[in-house]
Amino acid sequence: MISELAKSELSMSDLAAKISEALAGADLVLGWTASGPGGVAAPARFYEQAEAQQAVFDSTCVHNLAVHLPRLKERRVGIVAKPCDARAVNQLIAEREIDPGRVSVIGVECPSMVDVKTIWRRFGYGARIEDDGERLLVNGAEVERGKYTPAKCADCADRVHPAGEQSAAVADVTDETAADERQLRERFNAMSPAERREFWREQYSRCIRCYACREACPMCYCRDVCIMQSDESRWTGGGVNAGDAEMMQLIRVNHLAGRCTGCGECERACPAGIPLMLLMEEQNRVVEELFGHRAGVDPDARPPLLSFNANNDGWRKA
Amino acid sequence: MAELKLIGFLCNWCSYAGADMAGTARLKQPGELRIIRMPCTGRVDPLLVLKAFQEGADGVLVSGCHPGDCHYNEGNYYARRRLELLARMLPAFGIEPERFEYTWVSASEGARWAQVVDDFTTRIRMLGIGDEPTVAKQPDDQRTGEERAVNE
Repeated sequence: MISELAKSELSMSDLAAKISEALAGADLVLGWTASGPGGVAAPARFYEQAEAQQAVFDSTCVHNLAVHLPRLKERRVGIVAKPCDARAVNQLIAEREIDPGRVSVIGVECPSMVDVKTIWRRFGYGARIEDDGERLLVNGAEVERGKYTPAKCADCADRVHPAGEQSAAVADVTDETAADERQLRERFNAMSPAERREFWREQYSRCIRCYACREACPMCYCRDVCIMQSDESRWTGGGVNAGDAEMMQLIRVNHLAGRCTGCGECERACPAGIPLMLLMEEQNRVVEELFGHRAGVDPDARPPLLSFNANNDGWRKA
Repeated sequence: MAELKLIGFLCNWCSYAGADMAGTARLKQPGELRIIRMPCTGRVDPLLVLKAFQEGADGVLVSGCHPGDCHYNEGNYYARRRLELLARMLPAFGIEPERFEYTWVSASEGARWAQVVDDFTTRIRMLGIGDEPTVAKQPDDQRTGEERAVNE
């Protein structure tokens, strides 16, 4: 249950102990091992208590593992979750997609993630990334951590875990990655609608229609009945082109209205580097402005677009 | 000059009847608006509006029953939330927000309907022809139900 989150800073042995403990009441626990390329964390499922020793948690544990929960509905599942991941778990509970009685969350304080994609772009794919808690090493040489902090972590408003614990402050953010992302946002915000249309056309022309954005999203759980893929509904054509890619993203944005928890997995998963979070962030901002709602903060909250307030919705009253 | 294409999604129970009334009363209205009859504004998926823009609409108007008067009691309350969110998201999608409007016109308000169409059409005429469509209009699906079932 969310209310019983473990809060203390976890050493690796603590983490293993927590996972073992959770396995006493769960069929499996979702977490990470260090078996990914370059030693970065790879998502893993722990079934046996003996396996728990292989669990790691560091700044390369970028994935939002809540994406697996809708597919494991029939099982009792433990999940290692950062604060932003916990919001996704909350939202899945709010939507009655998963049964809170079958999910136990092992909350971990977030040291702020690193942008693995940017590091590999600079040092080569699979370059060894190590994080000993203090220093960030790439191929054995120390690099400035702040340079590879994504904006979503640098600007994170959820440093406070839903369970109430304040995470340690991120090392000084002098970071280039976040600065690049912020610059893009400023540039985008300054554009006219016509310039934005041109901007999106250029961005969407790189889409290869791999659906990674959808697969990585914890809230995209329609799976086989997704209208982005249905040729019956013809919302999108079958092609790989900017127009169809645009409609795909318009569908995603609309269907995530009031539901997106802002974890940024769609953008991180996009192999074409399309800045999908520009739209999601803007929508989250408007939703908060209109309905005072932030998805995944309160598992009991009513979804804002599945409800209304006849008298207090303050626009176009008559 | 190419003709403007304006699309109107109208609720069957009020605005559509209001538009009918304006017609039988022979009120003068501009002719660019093409009306699509909907069962309720609650059925107007915001994606329909975006799809219309994508396929080349220069303006989209949604009109339904006044709040409190919905034929289905609450359809337009849901619609109001969705459409307001959509209206504020349009600039981020790259669509001029002035090209979209939603409003309420009852079955008895023929004169008001004529005014709404006139105002909206004038506004879009000032803006002129919109952006090129991003996608070509899709051909009608000629397959039979059986062929479709085989493909899917």
